[in-house]
Amino acid sequence: MKIRYFDNAATSWPKPGSVLEAMKDYFLHGGGNPGRSGHGKSIGAGRIVLNARERLANFFNVLDPSRIVFSKNATEALNTALFGLLHRGDHVVTSSMEHNSVMRPLAFLQEHGIEVTTVKADETGLVHPDSLMKAVKKDTKLVVITHASNVTGTINDIGAVGRMCRKRGVLFLVDGAQTAGVVPVDVQRMNIDLFAFSGHKGLLGPQGTGGLYIGIDEKEVGPLMRGGTGSVSDREVQPDFLPDRFESGTLNVVGIAGLAAGVEYLLDMGREKILEHDSRLLEIFLDGFSRIPQIVIYGRQKPLEQTGVLSFKIQGISPSKAGEILDREYGIQTRIGLHCAPSAHKTIGTFPDGTIRLSWGIFATEKDVQYSIRAVKKIAGSA
Amino acid sequence: MARKRKNRIDLRALEGVVTFFGSHHALRAEEVLKKNGLQAVLIPGPREISPNCGVALRFEYSRRAEVERLFEQFFVHYEDIHLYPDQG
Repeated sequence: MKIRYFDNAATSWPKPGSVLEAMKDYFLHGGGNPGRSGHGKSIGAGRIVLNARERLANFFNVLDPSRIVFSKNATEALNTALFGLLHRGDHVVTSSMEHNSVMRPLAFLQEHGIEVTTVKADETGLVHPDSLMKAVKKDTKLVVITHASNVTGTINDIGAVGRMCRKRGVLFLVDGAQTAGVVPVDVQRMNIDLFAFSGHKGLLGPQGTGGLYIGIDEKEVGPLMRGGTGSVSDREVQPDFLPDRFESGTLNVVGIAGLAAGVEYLLDMGREKILEHDSRLLEIFLDGFSRIPQIVIYGRQKPLEQTGVLSFKIQGISPSKAGEILDREYGIQTRIGLHCAPSAHKTIGTFPDGTIRLSWGIFATEKDVQYSIRAVKKIAGSA
Repeated sequence: MARKRKNRIDLRALEGVVTFFGSHHALRAEEVLKKNGLQAVLIPGPREISPNCGVALRFEYSRRAEVERLFEQFFVHYEDIHLYPDQG
């Protein structure tokens, strides 16, 4: 049975051949530890990392590539930003659509003297910039929201929020786990101060890669970890400059090599083409599902207003059972239940059962979508 | 063999040494200078002029002003620039 992979919001598959080649090439011909020595293998590894930083900077319109720091995933990047910025007495505003990568750090910080205001999104998962900004007070330090929900794919108007935050003098952190490599991001035009991204989703890199763009004075952000950086080796205090301040310990160079190839693949394809492709497939899904009466769809249900993510349920059959049948009988791999975002499910009214989430990427085809619609129709008909 | 020697950069002609705090900036400095037609060679950082980064960069000292301008333009942060001829 042919596998139809519809869980790209969790991690993208397949990866371009060039990503695999870059990783293989690093092991065959590279292999050194960047920034640790002046020999060829160390410098070669350093060049791979520099190249990746420059490509990512180009991709997000960052002028100084040292402002991109690598992490193992978006979660680590978000934790770096949240724990590095917020201190006792600070106020932070967020939305009800956040993933646990934001909600759990904030829940912890709330217990340690940080005030958190969570603004409710509408039932389609959209965070309204005006209602978000109404929660901003005099002592608000930070606004943190997701660029797009991992549950509904709903894309927030980051540009509008960024503009308002800049005007009010509030820092703006964006969770780009679902949008990096899907929705074009321009940190300057969107007034984004900090942008956390995943490397293994839309950017097509391997797992274990991600990063944080730091657009503010790096000394305002405390590092999450401290340790060896290869620099200032005569001192036992953490370097205060970029990127070393946030990159303690040996980097995942083989992963970063793959990530750079993934970004290059997308740059060659054209950043604007990705969401267009995802939206074209969304329209086919929406059209097909509208003919199945037992189906309830969540989210915006509009092309270009959501990523390649579609959450739905089939009335009369639990999401977990439906997902099991899709996988076992049709080879369609989805995510079912609660997608690490309980508050988002409460917002759209799908708590505690959750949804069936289909999420596709640039390698999905119309045929895959048509096949999936037929499968869902059969399951719905027998429910 | 003779050809190889001909292509080799004469380090003695590169009397300037830039030192850096971190390796990102050293590698970016090398790339920026080379892309702009200047000679640049990464060398192990001489301990007697800086305890910081493991690598430093040799360049033509006579073009120091141009180098400093490029570093500013391309966000290359460096520790210091030295006149430090190669000891051979």
